Amino acid sequence: MHLNAEQLVDLADGAQPESSAPHLAGCESCRAQLRELRAMMSVANDAVVPEPSPLFWDHLSSRVRDAVAVEAAPRRAWFDVSAWRRLLMPVFVVAAAGLVLALVVNSRSTIPAPGAASAIAVAEAGATVELLNDVAADDDASLTLVASLTDDADLDMVREAGLAPAGSAEHAVTHMSGAELRELRRMLKEEMTRSGG
Amino acid sequence: MAAAEPRPLAELDEPALVEACLAQQAGAFDLIVERHRRSVYMLCYRFVSNHEDASDLSQDVFLRAYRGLRNFRGHSSLATWLYRIGVNVCLNRVSAKTTLGKLTEPMEERQFIDVRAESPSERMLKDERGARVRAAIAQLPRKQRATLILRTYHEMSHQEIADVLGSSVGAVKANFFHALGNLKKLLAEEI
Repeated sequence: MHLNAEQLVDLADGAQPESSAPHLAGCESCRAQLRELRAMMSVANDAVVPEPSPLFWDHLSSRVRDAVAVEAAPRRAWFDVSAWRRLLMPVFVVAAAGLVLALVVNSRSTIPAPGAASAIAVAEAGATVELLNDVAADDDASLTLVASLTDDADLDMVREAGLAPAGSAEHAVTHMSGAELRELRRMLKEEMTRSGG
Repeated sequence: MAAAEPRPLAELDEPALVEACLAQQAGAFDLIVERHRRSVYMLCYRFVSNHEDASDLSQDVFLRAYRGLRNFRGHSSLATWLYRIGVNVCLNRVSAKTTLGKLTEPMEERQFIDVRAESPSERMLKDERGARVRAAIAQLPRKQRATLILRTYHEMSHQEIADVLGSSVGAVKANFFHALGNLKKLLAEEI
């Protein structure tokens, strides 16, 4: 039985000595195949790759460095929390301003109801903020815009949004005591009377 | 107690260098490229037989290595891992873009060769013979080509080649055997 491809490769490679294949001594066909294999290995081995210019290696490194930098840049931007924070900060600012305004407007809208529960109590009952449709608000375009953006906002939403950290003006408005609310109401009423509202 | 000074990158062994890369340490990946760029380029050149494609492919190999570095488990050497990526990149590319015209480049485009010991005629003959063989290798079926290249030019064992190609040692030997047989036929057809 003739030697198979695997055995011939092992012999051609020198991984196995010829003495390990007694068949070889009596088989000219297998010996010829082995000679051909070795000859082709030698031919292949002699085909050297032209050595690039010595300058090429640094050029290749530089190309790889540039490609990696391009690869890394968008990934950083995607996962970078500070980049997201920078991007969304204006949105947060506008939203927070709108909510503060909505709270102030809400407290104004509750003033005309004498003896009514405090604004906090109303909001906690799930009441939707009613925007004040007074002349002053209609005249103020930015106020109208903010008011329309916060049409559905209520105090629960403000609390859930976590946009009123302790020490902030929003926090102060949403955490007033009954006496403070009464005083605020009085001051607003006085102001509205003075402005003809 | 003061923190220990970090070791210079050049002194790091492979796993530590990979760790340094993953920690985004400046220059760590550059060092990997520097250490392996020649062998990766040579591998690519064997597949495509021209400098331009070989340098594009080399860049691609390193870029993929960078992307996949987190998945490098250290079960094999970094060189073997890069060869695996290189073989895949090259086989994908050559199957998509096999143009015989690109397989050999004109003499004037060939790169720098230190041939001070050779006469001009010897050099020309050797160049032409080498170019013919490289072109013939580039026409071999994919796995035969990969096996022949890794075995002959990168001196990888059959087992290492089997790991790179995801096949058995027996299949690698059979591919090597058939690659040499086909190489002989292709060269005979040219004459």
